[in-house]
Amino acid sequence: MVTDVETAVHSLAERNRPIDKTIIETVDLDFFYSPEAHALIKVNIKILEKKVTAFIGPSGCGKSTLLRCFNRMNDLIMGVSIRGKVLIDNQDIYHPGQRLEELRNKVGMVFQKSNPFPMSIWENVAFGPRVNGVSNRTDLDGIVESALVQADLWREVKDRLGESALDLSGGQQQRLCIARTLANRPSIILMDEPASALDPISTGKIEETIGVLKEDYTIVIVTHNMQQAARVSDYTAFMMVGELVEYGDTKVIFTNPKERLTEEYITGRFG
Amino acid sequence: MAHKIAYFQKKGDPYIMLTGLGLVISLAMVIYILVIILTRGLGFFWPEDLVELQMEAGETYLGEVWAEDQKAVPDSTGDQEMIEEIQLKIGNRDILGYDFIWLDEPKIMHKSCPPEATAIERWEYGNFYGYIRSVQVGDSTVSSASTDIYKFALSIHRQAIAVNQKIGDLESEITTLTEPLVRLQREISLMEIGAEAQTEDGKSRLEKLYKRSDQLEASIGPEYQRLIENLERLHIKNDGMILNLNTAAGSSFELPLSKIVRFYQPNRMNFLEKCVLYLEKLYEFIAADPRESNTEGGVFPAIFGTVMMVLLMSIAVVPFGVLAAIYLNEYARQGAVTRLIRLSVNNLAGVPSIVFGIFGLGFFIYMVGGSIDQLFFSERLPEPTFGTGGIFWASLTLALLTLPVVVVATEEGILAVPRANKEGALALGATRWQMIRKIVLPNAMPGILTGLILAISRGAGEVAPLMITGVVKLAPSLPLDATFPFLHLDRKFMHLGFHIYDVGFQSPNVEAAKPMVYTTALLLILIVILLNILAIYIRNRLRKKYKTSAF
Repeated sequence: MVTDVETAVHSLAERNRPIDKTIIETVDLDFFYSPEAHALIKVNIKILEKKVTAFIGPSGCGKSTLLRCFNRMNDLIMGVSIRGKVLIDNQDIYHPGQRLEELRNKVGMVFQKSNPFPMSIWENVAFGPRVNGVSNRTDLDGIVESALVQADLWREVKDRLGESALDLSGGQQQRLCIARTLANRPSIILMDEPASALDPISTGKIEETIGVLKEDYTIVIVTHNMQQAARVSDYTAFMMVGELVEYGDTKVIFTNPKERLTEEYITGRFG
Repeated sequence: MAHKIAYFQKKGDPYIMLTGLGLVISLAMVIYILVIILTRGLGFFWPEDLVELQMEAGETYLGEVWAEDQKAVPDSTGDQEMIEEIQLKIGNRDILGYDFIWLDEPKIMHKSCPPEATAIERWEYGNFYGYIRSVQVGDSTVSSASTDIYKFALSIHRQAIAVNQKIGDLESEITTLTEPLVRLQREISLMEIGAEAQTEDGKSRLEKLYKRSDQLEASIGPEYQRLIENLERLHIKNDGMILNLNTAAGSSFELPLSKIVRFYQPNRMNFLEKCVLYLEKLYEFIAADPRESNTEGGVFPAIFGTVMMVLLMSIAVVPFGVLAAIYLNEYARQGAVTRLIRLSVNNLAGVPSIVFGIFGLGFFIYMVGGSIDQLFFSERLPEPTFGTGGIFWASLTLALLTLPVVVVATEEGILAVPRANKEGALALGATRWQMIRKIVLPNAMPGILTGLILAISRGAGEVAPLMITGVVKLAPSLPLDATFPFLHLDRKFMHLGFHIYDVGFQSPNVEAAKPMVYTTALLLILIVILLNILAIYIRNRLRKKYKTSAF
């Protein structure tokens, strides 16, 4: 129930743009692939709701690892261990009682290489809702359509939903994967270099889609492409060898970074 | 020069040639065996011309030329001389005591192919070769010009076959009629020998059973009498239709027409007629029951047994192997234990099949089957039901034998499923089981079917373990029929592989059965190929459906 006071506070907040609500927070997060491979070192970051946050940094800096901590995708790897906390909506997601399926419904993920299932387009998008128990065909049709519309793919595939998803072009496949993630109605979408395998035009379309999606979703994107980070993100985090070096407003990071390392990286002195 | 040799070695030409040679030799051997099996096997049904040979010593022989050879004999000066000899299949086993004879070519005075020579395939004693003299129907005897007598004999033979059919129908009718009575009497005799018969209660119940048995006997009595009379009439009718024959040597021979499968005069037939007869015999081979301790007739029960056993084996081995492979790959913690299990599974594939047979006998038949008998079929003991070899135990034994193949192939199929697809499913909130069911299993299906194909190839050709787990030379009935419960898993069965061994090496008339061995081998190969083609077809369709993403 929304009271008048809350509405008033909310609209006030809108106007004055005070500090946004934190949705993901890590507290002294350490991550080990094995006891010797220390991949994340004391990472503390607060990611804000309905913003696009970009993780940049050289290869092997831990940005993908950090991203995969948010939906516990790292659990699949043998021998990993974690210290510290990851809070999503103030809930510790590494709590022993946490159900992975629930977490991954809330935190969707788009991978670097598009990975449509060898099924029809419709079945691909309906996969998430179906494994979560939606079985009514009309409900599913509605979910599929709205997800494809949001991912800006509906116009291209609406007449061929029954065809194999593998017949789509690379860019279309990646947008299908975005639609598939949206079909679960997550609140957070993690994107692991979503455009790195695509041509410039497809990349442009994906970036456009991200711009539209940030109205409704929190997006965390890992990218190698610094122009892309500058174009799509509101906040940028720069990481190096497992540590969070600098985190702040994208404009500030790219124009007036506080850290010397950040400046050297974005001006292309290493990377 | 030295430079050239060095380059020659570097390029590896000799080794390339060696690999090529290896391939050629293997191919040549495969082709050789196929050609031998094809020619010898398929030639068996061709109606060969009958040859009449008159010898120096005065004897006359009629039969098919079976083989030709050379042998060395000492000539007048004491040197070795090579002469041709002919093996003739002369049939008439019941008269002569042997089917084949070797004749020296130089001693043959006269060779001819008389048109009225007749080959007769009999239900018993193999073929008869001779001439039709007359046909006797009841009291009248018909003998006329030989073509007409042949045609007349054919028409009477058809009648005799029809009567045979009727006799068979009547016999099964009688069996159905008397079945309740037989069962009741069995129950009575079991009670009589039991301890219960001594008690008062038992005696009165036995008394009741006697009464019921008498009533039943009285009620079916008239019907039974009528059927028996009919049967006798038919037998008399059949015994009255007789073919009077002459052998090549001139002695006469009587043969009831009902004892004849078919007869023909090959020397008079043209190519087309021979083709028709050939197909007829081929059909008989595939569709009919064996005769004469398997050396003649068909192999249908063996085909049926083989296919059914392979299907039962597949039903048992695929789910089992797939489940094991899934657990091993998806759930089990990878480490020393899983490595040990994989090693053991692979080693299991190398265990000699007879060892599996002994395991099947000891574990399935004696332990499991024996326990089933104790629990559910105790009234039939000491006669075993499941405690003896049967198609079910044989199939399970083969399933165990082929399990490693299925496990390994399924594991490979599972490993081939792209990691990205598995992660994608999990990232969408699927549980591990949902991921396995919807992503891993469909994608691993081609691998699973590859395993099935390998299992079928191995299982269908296996004989040794079957010999001690339920295969028999001649099974009285098929494991699947129209009587309840339709699928009789406890029954013994026939198998093409064992049939080859039995006919070729265990039959009383190995020489006559030799072509049957080739034909049966051909059939076994064909069945394995057919089952494989079916599985490959399904696999290719699935592959098309689940081709992995590529861009």
